[in-house]
Amino acid sequence: MTNRSLVVVVDDDESVRESLPHLLREFGFVAHAFSSAEEFLASELLGRTGCLILDVAMPGMTGPDLQDELSRRRYAIPIVFITAHEDEAVPRRVLDAGAVECLFKPFSGRALREAVNTALRAG
Amino acid sequence: MQDEFREAIDTIPVIVWSALPDGSVDFLNRRWCDYTGISVDRASGSGWLSALHPGDRPHVTALWRSLLASREAGELEARLQRADGTFRWFAIHVVPVCDESGRVVKWYGQNTDIDDRKRTETLLAGEKRLLEMVALGAELPSVLDALCSFVDEASSGCHCSILLVESQSATVRHAAASSLPPDFTGAIDGRSVSVPYWGPCAVAIAHRTPVIVDDIGHDTRWAGSEWCQLALGAGLRSCWTTPILSQAGDPLGTFAIYHHQAGSPTPLQMDLIEQVTHIASIAVERERDVTRRRHVENDLRRSEALLAEAQRLSATGSFVWRVPQGEIVWSEQVYRIYEIDPALPVTFELVGTRIHPDEAAWFQELLGRASAEGRDLEFEHRLQMPDQSVKYLHVVAHAARGAGDQLEYIGAVQDVTERRRSEDALSKLRSELTHIARVTTLGALTASIAHEVNQPLSGIITNASTSLLMLDNDPPNIAGALESAERTIRDANRASQVLARLRTLFRKTATLSEPFDLNEAAREVLALSERELQRARVVVRAELAADLPAVVGDRVQLQQVVLNLVLNAAEAMGLVEDRPRLLVIQTGQEDGDRIRLTVRDCGAGFDPRLANRIFETFYTTKPDGMGVGLSISRSIIDRHQGRLWAEHHDGPGATFGFSIPRLPVLGRARKPDDPPNAPRSPVGGAIGEA
Repeated sequence: MTNRSLVVVVDDDESVRESLPHLLREFGFVAHAFSSAEEFLASELLGRTGCLILDVAMPGMTGPDLQDELSRRRYAIPIVFITAHEDEAVPRRVLDAGAVECLFKPFSGRALREAVNTALRAG
Repeated sequence: MQDEFREAIDTIPVIVWSALPDGSVDFLNRRWCDYTGISVDRASGSGWLSALHPGDRPHVTALWRSLLASREAGELEARLQRADGTFRWFAIHVVPVCDESGRVVKWYGQNTDIDDRKRTETLLAGEKRLLEMVALGAELPSVLDALCSFVDEASSGCHCSILLVESQSATVRHAAASSLPPDFTGAIDGRSVSVPYWGPCAVAIAHRTPVIVDDIGHDTRWAGSEWCQLALGAGLRSCWTTPILSQAGDPLGTFAIYHHQAGSPTPLQMDLIEQVTHIASIAVERERDVTRRRHVENDLRRSEALLAEAQRLSATGSFVWRVPQGEIVWSEQVYRIYEIDPALPVTFELVGTRIHPDEAAWFQELLGRASAEGRDLEFEHRLQMPDQSVKYLHVVAHAARGAGDQLEYIGAVQDVTERRRSEDALSKLRSELTHIARVTTLGALTASIAHEVNQPLSGIITNASTSLLMLDNDPPNIAGALESAERTIRDANRASQVLARLRTLFRKTATLSEPFDLNEAAREVLALSERELQRARVVVRAELAADLPAVVGDRVQLQQVVLNLVLNAAEAMGLVEDRPRLLVIQTGQEDGDRIRLTVRDCGAGFDPRLANRIFETFYTTKPDGMGVGLSISRSIIDRHQGRLWAEHHDGPGATFGFSIPRLPVLGRARKPDDPPNAPRSPVGGAIGEA
């Protein structure tokens, strides 16, 4: 059950990494942030993550890459994508690949909470 | 006494006679018998009439009857036949003798030989008639025919011919020979005057002297020749030929008289021949002059027609402007371009009615300058037609010194309306494309801008939401909210940094770097924009420093900067009407091994307080400007380690300029005070890669 309440943020943008966990905690979740996909894959939180908030465009492994990698490793972690690019193709692709939601930055706190709740329910 | 008197009457050199009151002749002196060979017996009564030329008989008879009736003295002229058959002219005087009662008792008559006088009169009359024909411009063949007929009449029993030399083929051809057999003339026509001496006429032409053949059958010169056979075959026995010479002494042809009897010309006939050849030479020369003039006139008319056609086809007219007299002459096509009646004389007033009102002052000034300086002109201007349509003319005029060293312009006017319209359309299209290109570039940038700005915005919203939630807690988490608010501020700062960083995107293009001559590059730009500047009626003064060292950089990009400055300057002077739109472009060397280029205008200038903002992207003072030009210029100059500046003038206008490093002298040690960012490599590589 504790597993389910762990929300992990993976974003190369520092302001997101700093602000999002605070907000998630205010919503009552346990939150942790990583600056890259590789870092997250190597962490011990991988198996305990109830919801993943994942940036699309990152240097090195991108958000969709991580989605594929998790799927390959058979980790069924519900993913909420966030992106600053207003490109319609990306959300379609990641949603097709099983993502719960794709939020365009900047997004409201309520949109985030609803997405995370949906993700945790799905998980 | 009676016998003595009779002796005297018979010996005087005139014919004397008497007649009865009824007119029948009762006495003739011996001179009559000697001359006519008719005895007194046969001539008595009215027998004398048989000596009269048949043509003269009717009028002589009529006159004689009227004298008898009126009993008055009279005089008449008639031809009497001599014993040898020839006729001579005589003047016949008749006087009546009356008794006391007034009745005629006797008629006395005297016939005087006036043949020589009469002949001279006839010749003179003939000459006068022929010269009249020549003077009145009668066709040459009819003049020459008349000439031959004249000689035929003057000396009966002869055949005349006029041969003319055809100068191009150097052959002869009969121009008149009406009474000669065609077999004879036909055999001579087309003979060469140069090669063989085929006959007397050829010799007369070759030696320019008369040739008299008094007996063709016995003349050794042509014995057995083809000509001799021909002439004898035609029954001709003598040939007197004389060359017809031009005033310059060149042979034009020959005049020849043929007889059926052998014989040589009398002095009188020689005179006649001389007279006739003289008239013939006048007639032939005149004809040739007329022909030549007609050819020249035809050629002239043809070339005029060609020129007019060429002018019409190319929509180009020509004109002459004699400056001191203020006199203008237009070709037909200029009238057509101006749509003015060609019957009207051209005046500047007339021209002024067509000059486009916007250009009237400028045109006046141009004319003033042209008449004062006398330099070649080339310009474009507009006409406004009465129907308000506009024509574009391209004018080129060469200043020349005409008669009396007076200034005159000879020039061409071309209607370039069609070309200008398509150029305008093209130029509009081009500027639209440029605009689209800019917008497209901005469109491409929008995605980057959005991404870069959305990141911190996202942070701002997240932090603000967090703050609100923390403050909404019970008790409120003040410390956490403050912390979040601070992060909000930090993200907002980040957003503005993003915008600053965007500018660096402009610089992310590889730039060529090579040494080149800035003067030459500037000249190319001026050449490129010449038409644009001319259209904006900008006068360009280039003051490019001699011996300017080469600079290093991207030639094309720096030319873009120069072009931008030049076009801005032109645009800044767009509303200037009270002074020449002078643009001065200068180059020179600055201290610290830098090369400077400045562009000065006399336009609106700018507010000095805004000097720093002018170079900002999207900042513009122009109503339709994008504000991109100068900022791109500055980014280019920055990349060249250069400086771009704007100077406000106290007077009208502004100066924009830049300076960039010159090509370093190789092998020279770098001075300690050199700026650290001076280029290290003179050639190759890329500079300014952000």
